[in-house]
Amino acid sequence: MIRTPARYRLLAMFVLPALVVYVAFAVYPLLSSVFLSFFESSGQTSAFVGVANYVDLFTNPTTSARFWNALGNNVEFFLIHLLVELPVGLLMAALLTSGRLRRSVGLYRTLLFVPATLSVVIVGFIWRLIINPLWGVVDFPLLGLESTALPTISLMSVWQYIGIPMIFLYTALLAIPDDVIEASRIDGAGAWTAFWRIKFPLIAPQFGLIVILTYIWTFNGFDIVYALNGSAPGPNYSTDILGTFFYRSFFGSSGQVADLDLGATVASVIFLLILVTTAAYFWVVQRRLKSYEL
Amino acid sequence: MWESDIIPAFEKSHPGIKVEYAPIDTNDYNAAIQSQIDGGTGPDVIMCRPFDVNRSWIDKGYFEPLDGLDAIGSFPESALAAWEGDDGTPYCVPVASVLAGFYYNTAIFDELGLDIPQTQDEFVEVLDAIKEDGTYAPLALGSADGWQLAYNMLYQVGPNAWKGEEGRLGLIDGSKKLTDPEFVEGFEVFDSFKDYLPNGYESISYEDMTQLFTLGQAAILPDGSWQITQVTSTGLDVGVFGAPPAEEGGQRYQQEMADMAFGLNAAGKNKEAATEFVEWLGTSEFQQLYVNKLPGFFSMGSEPVKYDNALAQDFADLKEGAELTSRLALDRLSAGQPPLDDEIWRVAQLMFNSGLSAEEATAELQKGLDSWYTPAP
Repeated sequence: MIRTPARYRLLAMFVLPALVVYVAFAVYPLLSSVFLSFFESSGQTSAFVGVANYVDLFTNPTTSARFWNALGNNVEFFLIHLLVELPVGLLMAALLTSGRLRRSVGLYRTLLFVPATLSVVIVGFIWRLIINPLWGVVDFPLLGLESTALPTISLMSVWQYIGIPMIFLYTALLAIPDDVIEASRIDGAGAWTAFWRIKFPLIAPQFGLIVILTYIWTFNGFDIVYALNGSAPGPNYSTDILGTFFYRSFFGSSGQVADLDLGATVASVIFLLILVTTAAYFWVVQRRLKSYEL
Repeated sequence: MWESDIIPAFEKSHPGIKVEYAPIDTNDYNAAIQSQIDGGTGPDVIMCRPFDVNRSWIDKGYFEPLDGLDAIGSFPESALAAWEGDDGTPYCVPVASVLAGFYYNTAIFDELGLDIPQTQDEFVEVLDAIKEDGTYAPLALGSADGWQLAYNMLYQVGPNAWKGEEGRLGLIDGSKKLTDPEFVEGFEVFDSFKDYLPNGYESISYEDMTQLFTLGQAAILPDGSWQITQVTSTGLDVGVFGAPPAEEGGQRYQQEMADMAFGLNAAGKNKEAATEFVEWLGTSEFQQLYVNKLPGFFSMGSEPVKYDNALAQDFADLKEGAELTSRLALDRLSAGQPPLDDEIWRVAQLMFNSGLSAEEATAELQKGLDSWYTPAP
């Protein structure tokens, strides 16, 4: 046993380098961006304006309409991930650990995970070709109509990232000792009962974590929409999500002049949205999920 | 091209100066340059964006004023306008402009016995004839990319109705509104083309259109001159015509968009050498070299330039007898929220995809513009 002061010194030695990097490249930019949102800059000067940028974001008819539209689209983007990616990912993980695939488990695991390793630009490009009405397999402008564009893009993204929840849940399921399952079988439980009554409760904490990670990830989403539809994502902003709305405000688009203050305000609002929801989730839900020692 | 031809030509005539070329992808250009300059790592010579984006950069003090330069004197005022400050001070040396036109597949025109349309009505007849024949798509055009509808269709066929610069400058000084009959008519003409698009056009992107045309499956491609090399890459025999006027022999309006210019970074480290470089960009030696290395880009200088590429020469000939006009919404009208240019992309898509009428479209645009834009007194 090392004496306490020495222990703290050692601890500091290990933690400090990472902490310095983290503060310099994550905490500082974050805070300075929030800071920026309280200023109005024009040219080389900038003046403190309090929450005026926030008021403007929520009351200016143009920007607030775009903001709520992007938020609504983002919720839809998240819900499609939640309702498709997670259940299907869970199903895949359950199949992989069910023992029915025998020796081809490795093959399936790899195949299902491969899209997650692809660049989003490639995924967008491939799918754009597949569903192209001129030379693709569907004779319908999926990406061109307001009603279908966002679900289509969401499903492309689900297709790409389905390997992530699958691998998470797969490892969690593997960690369940066989004797627990065997015991349930002796007690007369079928595969279905064993899964929902024994396996799922055991992996519920991991499942909950994936839900919140998916939330964070979709609310920070940007790349697939930008890759497919650019920074003013149409048609009629039907695929505009918070990430693209932020990009357009902060960096401008072809015809739009960049507005750093508005961009920083949007970024801060997104940050707050994610922070509050995540905190609430951990407070209300994740604490109550029981972890079992096996 | 810059590295292999142009910069060596400059370095040969200006010994002692070395130019380093640092390209940035178009989509990231504004963002990259702004963060570089704000961070103090900007280049000595900056490529300028036309109109509003550049004006905001001028306001931020990125550029050195160029009033004293010989190069500035070799351009007409119209060429300089896209890069001037509010007080008319020049900040960039113009390099090239792009034109818009209708590429057509001459083999298809011969096969169907079609002539180049001289009036708007003839244009529609030509399109009807191709549609009736049914072998080819009349227009290679999709609405997945809003900018494409605006830049290559609306801003091409519309100026004949709103009289080019007269209408454009009228919007800027406030004497005209988008709801005026001439603008509504321009939007109507644009809308009338929607009957000639290929199936599933709502999700046909810009790349798809070019491909449809180069594969010989479509007769006419509305596009910019920058595509000259691509549209002829499959060996098609391609011609080009400009948007025809409403009546036979009426005034034609030709879209010419200021595309590229170079300015000096006010915080640059090698100002003297950089000045020499931009001075050289104003010479006809450079312009001749540039436009022929890059067919589809046109010199903006006062001295005439010869184009080696036949299609480029055809394009340059479109300027003859036509009044030149810039894209409608990029000058001042897109400097606030909502930017008119982005809004036009959006409503142009709505007109094609959801049947928004020209009246509704222009009313919506004018409302958006009124919400922030006040013409300078």
